[in-house]
Amino acid sequence: MRRNTPLITLLTGAALGVVLLVANMLADPSGKPASYSTAAAAATSAPAPANSAPASPTSATESSPASPAPAPATPSPTSVTTSPVKATYAGRVGGGGGSVAVSIHDSQAIAYVCNGSTVEAWFKGTAVNGVLIMTGKNHSHFSAIYDFGKVTGDVLAHGTDYSFSVPVVSKPSGLYRATAVVRGATIKAGWIVLSDGTQVGSVEPFSTSPAPTAFGAPALDVATGTARDGNIVLHAVAVDGATGSGF
Amino acid sequence: MTTRQDALPPARANSTTAMLVVPCLIGALVALALGIYGKVHHPTGVAINIAGFSSPGSVKSWLATGATVFAIIQVGSALVMYGKIPRVTAPDWIGGLHRWSGRIAFFLAVPVAIHCLYALGFQQYSTRVLIHSLLGCAFFGAFTVKMLILPKRGLPGWVLPVVGAVVFTALVIVWFTSAYWFFSTFGIKR
Repeated sequence: MRRNTPLITLLTGAALGVVLLVANMLADPSGKPASYSTAAAAATSAPAPANSAPASPTSATESSPASPAPAPATPSPTSVTTSPVKATYAGRVGGGGGSVAVSIHDSQAIAYVCNGSTVEAWFKGTAVNGVLIMTGKNHSHFSAIYDFGKVTGDVLAHGTDYSFSVPVVSKPSGLYRATAVVRGATIKAGWIVLSDGTQVGSVEPFSTSPAPTAFGAPALDVATGTARDGNIVLHAVAVDGATGSGF
Repeated sequence: MTTRQDALPPARANSTTAMLVVPCLIGALVALALGIYGKVHHPTGVAINIAGFSSPGSVKSWLATGATVFAIIQVGSALVMYGKIPRVTAPDWIGGLHRWSGRIAFFLAVPVAIHCLYALGFQQYSTRVLIHSLLGCAFFGAFTVKMLILPKRGLPGWVLPVVGAVVFTALVIVWFTSAYWFFSTFGIKR
């Protein structure tokens, strides 16, 4: 009897793991959506706010056998929620020729790649199930997979192809955007502030153009959120995946 | 009669090796299976999550920290059981404490591992992450070995302490490369 208890411990743990895995698969939108609609599932049709999906009744099993019997007890039934990604990722692209920032808020995503000069592109799209594919102006293209820790992928901007794998950052690091109307033209500026404090930024002086050009942006004062270019003051907004600001 | 004698194994195999080889193989298969699943399964980035915490990262960090605390109790109670603490005689409940702290640590670690494998997968984009992925799989393999050899009688005295130390070391490194990193990066939060 006593000699079996380690095996029972092992099997109970394995059973707990299998139950959790099956619960995950049931809750996975790629499985059977039905009542398990997560944010990612809703994202396939339209952007949706965060929601919590009721989990299957088996999912909340926290096992703790009171005796060396294989049947697990359930001392603390825990309700479960899905956990959509709300995060901002930023870092240098491979080779260090520029930076990329991605903000994901539930199912919505905004990304910016920038070399601090003429090569830059904005992307806006829908994040589905850990995959992010977006197109921007000037034939720019962004494709990546993401998880809670990082975004990994490729981005093509102004004919330059970058690969990247960048981590989650927290404020004041991240993505900033400013728009202003100057003499009828809509200026759009973007900055990527990295966790070491370095930043790159570019300005599109005619951002509504189907093929906007860009030049290096004036330095962004992260503390005040402003950048001054001659007598024009740009007021930047953080595009923050965690809070949804700037979306 | 003589033919039957001849059919027996010619010499006694090294019984320690014989007793360890199957558990070690099974443990290796467990670790390998977890790693292969983590690598092959496309990470979803999202998994069901226990309510009441701010993020999956913090849930996992707290569960892993709990597992590590119980693992430290494991080492302490083992030292007492083996009489390695001077002037402390093992009370009769020490075995129960050792067994239950181990079970609790294991059951706390399982949901963390499932979340890792399902939502994040086996990754190698940084040294920390690679070490975490490798040892996360190895931990469950080593734990399997420990559980399988525990009931065996006649093992040399060093076997259980060594296997236990491997399990403990793996768990602490797994904790250090995940929960410690999480708390030191994002702050200690629920």
